[in-house]
Amino acid sequence: MKILLDWLQDFVKLPSDISPEEIGDLITKHTAEVEEVEHIAKKYDKIVIGKIEKLWKHPDAERLNLTMVDIGESAPVQIVCGGQNLTEGMLVAAALPGSKVDVHGEGIFEIKEAKIRGEVSNGMICAGEEIWMEADNEVGSKEDVKIKDLSHLNVKPGTPLSDALGMKGVIIDIDNKSLTHRPDLWGHYGFARECSAIWGNPLSLLDEFLYEGPEGSDTEVKIRIERDDICPRFSACVVAGIKIAPSPQWMQSRLELAGMYPINNIVDITNYVMLELGQPMHAYDRQQVGSDELIVSAGKPGVKLVTLDENEQELHDEDPVIYNAAGEPLILAGIKGGIKSGIHEATNEIILEAANWDAVLIRKSSVRHQLRTDASQRFEKRLDPGMTETALRRALKLIMEICPGAKLVSPLSTEGKWTAPDLKISVRPNSVRSKIGINIPTEKMVHILASLDFGVEGDDTGLTISVPHHRATSDVDIEEDIVEEIARIYGYDKIPAELPELPAKLPEPNDERQYKHQTRNLLANHLGFTEVLTYSFYGVDRIENCELKEEDHIHVLNYLSEDQTHMRTSLTPNILAVIEKNQKEFPEINIFEIGRTYKEVGDYMPQEEKGLIMAVAQKEDPFFEAKGALEDYLEAFGLSGAKFQASKTPPVYAHPKKCIDVMVKGQHVGHVFTVHPGVLNAFEIDHNVAIVELKFSKLVERGLDKLSFTEPPKFPGMSFDVSVLVDERCQAGKLKQAIQSAGKLIETVDLFDIYQGKGISEGKKSLSYKIDLRHKDRTLTDEEFKQTQTSVIEALTKAGAELRA
Amino acid sequence: MTTDINQIRSAALSAIKSTDSAEALKDVERDYLGKKGQVTGLLKGVKDLSIEEKKSFGKAVNDLKTELAALISARGKAIEREAIDAQLANDWIDLSAPGKRRKRGNIHPLSQTQEEVERIFQQMGFTIIDGPEIESEFYNFEGLNIPAYHPARDMQDTFFIDKAPDEKEGSLVLRTHTSPNQVRTMLKYGAPLRIIVPGRAFRNEALDASHEHTFDQLEGLMIDKEISIAHLKGTMQEFLARIFRKDMKVRFRPGYFPFVEPGLELDMSCVFCDGRGCKTCKQTGWIEFMGCGMVHPNVLRAGGVDPNEYQGWAFGAGLTRLTMMRYGINDIRYLTNGDLRINKQF
Repeated sequence: MKILLDWLQDFVKLPSDISPEEIGDLITKHTAEVEEVEHIAKKYDKIVIGKIEKLWKHPDAERLNLTMVDIGESAPVQIVCGGQNLTEGMLVAAALPGSKVDVHGEGIFEIKEAKIRGEVSNGMICAGEEIWMEADNEVGSKEDVKIKDLSHLNVKPGTPLSDALGMKGVIIDIDNKSLTHRPDLWGHYGFARECSAIWGNPLSLLDEFLYEGPEGSDTEVKIRIERDDICPRFSACVVAGIKIAPSPQWMQSRLELAGMYPINNIVDITNYVMLELGQPMHAYDRQQVGSDELIVSAGKPGVKLVTLDENEQELHDEDPVIYNAAGEPLILAGIKGGIKSGIHEATNEIILEAANWDAVLIRKSSVRHQLRTDASQRFEKRLDPGMTETALRRALKLIMEICPGAKLVSPLSTEGKWTAPDLKISVRPNSVRSKIGINIPTEKMVHILASLDFGVEGDDTGLTISVPHHRATSDVDIEEDIVEEIARIYGYDKIPAELPELPAKLPEPNDERQYKHQTRNLLANHLGFTEVLTYSFYGVDRIENCELKEEDHIHVLNYLSEDQTHMRTSLTPNILAVIEKNQKEFPEINIFEIGRTYKEVGDYMPQEEKGLIMAVAQKEDPFFEAKGALEDYLEAFGLSGAKFQASKTPPVYAHPKKCIDVMVKGQHVGHVFTVHPGVLNAFEIDHNVAIVELKFSKLVERGLDKLSFTEPPKFPGMSFDVSVLVDERCQAGKLKQAIQSAGKLIETVDLFDIYQGKGISEGKKSLSYKIDLRHKDRTLTDEEFKQTQTSVIEALTKAGAELRA
Repeated sequence: MTTDINQIRSAALSAIKSTDSAEALKDVERDYLGKKGQVTGLLKGVKDLSIEEKKSFGKAVNDLKTELAALISARGKAIEREAIDAQLANDWIDLSAPGKRRKRGNIHPLSQTQEEVERIFQQMGFTIIDGPEIESEFYNFEGLNIPAYHPARDMQDTFFIDKAPDEKEGSLVLRTHTSPNQVRTMLKYGAPLRIIVPGRAFRNEALDASHEHTFDQLEGLMIDKEISIAHLKGTMQEFLARIFRKDMKVRFRPGYFPFVEPGLELDMSCVFCDGRGCKTCKQTGWIEFMGCGMVHPNVLRAGGVDPNEYQGWAFGAGLTRLTMMRYGINDIRYLTNGDLRINKQF
């Protein structure tokens, strides 16, 4: 929301010894976040009022004109201009060299002296959209370009545009989000009250700004509230003798600076009051309403209303709507007026309304009709119903000033069940001090609260705070709210930084978290894998690429894009996408991710599993690289004794014959597999990819191995190598078992070579083992060595292996 | 015979001295100390001597043996050393050639930051907590004092899960912050409590250099009998100083989050200019860091904690943003776009 420092000063004196930036900073520190402090005149630097003295066609360009413009200097200057509405004698905005304008709304551009098709141009004549005024041309339009006619300003050529428009002073732009809980701050007066508390300068009473003149008795607005829950308070009156005209320049300037376009005197006054007091208002054309009766009710389903933006809205039975006596809907209350009963040029009598609407209903209605207006965003914050009559009186005061001949012909009618709240909060000063953490004297608290219009009674043992009605709509109702009021005005800067004492009890360890960090360290720093993070969702294309089923996935209702529609049930699809993305750059890829997968399991809450995925991508099938990396990881991590077996239930995206189950401490914790070639094709991956997929929580839930140690052997061992020929589908694991059980003295069996190819007949492979023997209590005898060797060879032969020479 | 000894000694000394190769030295050794060597030969005439003379001559010959043996060994070492020195003088490698690297992987900067954050808070006595990423509306909103149709829901554009809502818990959403774990943890452990919850959160926002629909947050919660805003200031100042490894200042300003009261925004001194004012901090010297405040009594109640007995604070900081600031990463998309040229830098 834009707050004008000038406007604030109508109600409170601001310190003159500090800069607007410092004022903004203090508002940020005490009240709400200031996003920007804007010096308006700066924007209009070197843009002046020019008068077109002479106008003729550019000799070389059909759509361009040449002008001589009086800019208040001794001689007029030549400017090239494409404006088709130029006339001699017109007053225009002349942007001189060095000025900056928003060219066709496309970006800020510095004006320089130039030659355009051979003719000198000493500046630019601006259209409205180029100088932050109402646009004269549609965005991007090149046909029939118009410039801003400022003749009505009636000022001397050379007058700075900012002076001519009254565009002066400073705007403090407040972040609306930081006002979500402050319905009292949606107008200048509320901010003036804050400034008064911050700087200790008195706040002007509103009374002097309100109409206190005689009320009329020609007629009376009859207000019938059919739904108390929709409207707690409604005020209205009738004003006659209106002549619709533009509002005075000062009012137009303030509206424009605050971000609203001026329309006409009556509409501008209602908007002005909203920006000043925070209370939205509405003015009806009395003739169009038909009688002086207004009925507050809910929308009748199926009935349509054309709003001021010329859109037809179908009403809903929760929409706040105002009807006339004939039962015609007039406005979508609290959100947008209706076009039929709105103010138009011929209006001469108006019904003026200021009402309060239920915040939740307004919010629902505004969402339903996709209409977010200045009014709705205020009402949804729970405005103070006490403001309706005040706003009406403020508007009347302005109407009487601005529209000569205007006359209040009715009394001020107010209806509604609202009564001024009598909200009191008990506050313990000690509790306030304990929560803020600084010793604020009770008198200081009392002083701060009084400066914010709170009533305060009591002493150090307990205070009773009366909440003023502008703060009593939900913003302030418990002691903690009072703590905030005291702390922020006292100054958060004054709170010291203190460390809480450490608790005597140590925090509970989060083992799983620790294991994750350990795993990252092992995989990255020891095994050469790089961690990636991918999204928690993917789209149907990746589901199909992986041959997964869409119906097994949790679906995001309001997804952002087609590739983010389903929650992942596996880490593989997104990891394959990462491989595809990097395959050109890297001939070999080793990556891992620790992340969650999500599955519907029939309960309300879905099941979330923490997963670990390691992927190796290279030219040759990296199955054994992946398996080996897993073995290294498990050994270093402290999970020995993992068992692998051919998987009977491989994942659908796995090669059905190249997939093993991983069993750790008796639990199935995942798979190692080569990715299915069809899946690789679908992802357009040229590499071969092998993946380790583990359920991380399961992997670690039974804890790591006990820490232990084995003494090195004291006696020397012996070893021999043996190479055998076997059928190519013979399992090395089984042969190893056969060797292992051939003798008690066998310590280790190491398969150091697998060979197929030249010298080996078709359908066969050669396996070479190194076999270590040892007795732990003594040196081996030659006899023992020979015996073991013989029984190993026997065992191999029995297992179908043929001894190689 | 003494004359023989002296002659042989001086001949041997000069022979040793003039030898310049290991082979020649072996010859010298053999010539004098070998079985048929000159020194050994001296002992041949000993049988003609008296017992007295035998004793003294024998000793003289043995002394000569010992002396020569020592000299030969010393000369041997010197020859070896000279050979090495000559070799070294001639050696050359290209010292500027690169070392042979081991295969090393990389830990994602977000994980590295998270681990450090967890370590610092653990040292300050905090427990690390996990919670579901698919949350109920109740824990994500109502339990945090954000009822339906509250304007504060605008602040958190929410992803909804396509599933019928539960009567009590509402619809399922992707958690928009890590804050649901405030109530979850209070219900589980009660008070007093000090926890952090680092984790993934989601907002339905269009992607640009500084906005991601997927990001990581760091929730903090401290509940006890006398916990104040001053403690929050102290804790965060200490945390930031440790994570950025330099002195840091923090400041509070009013902020609004329905689950805290008072609600605060915490700014930290700009890490890029140390508060002097630069482009990043828009010349203010401060960078917005997180929302925080004293836990709202309604939230304590939702967590089964008596607000008359306990009080405390909560904060929600951007772990992703913290990571970006630590490494000077200027575009949030770099963290999840899976471009290994980026991931391999860390």
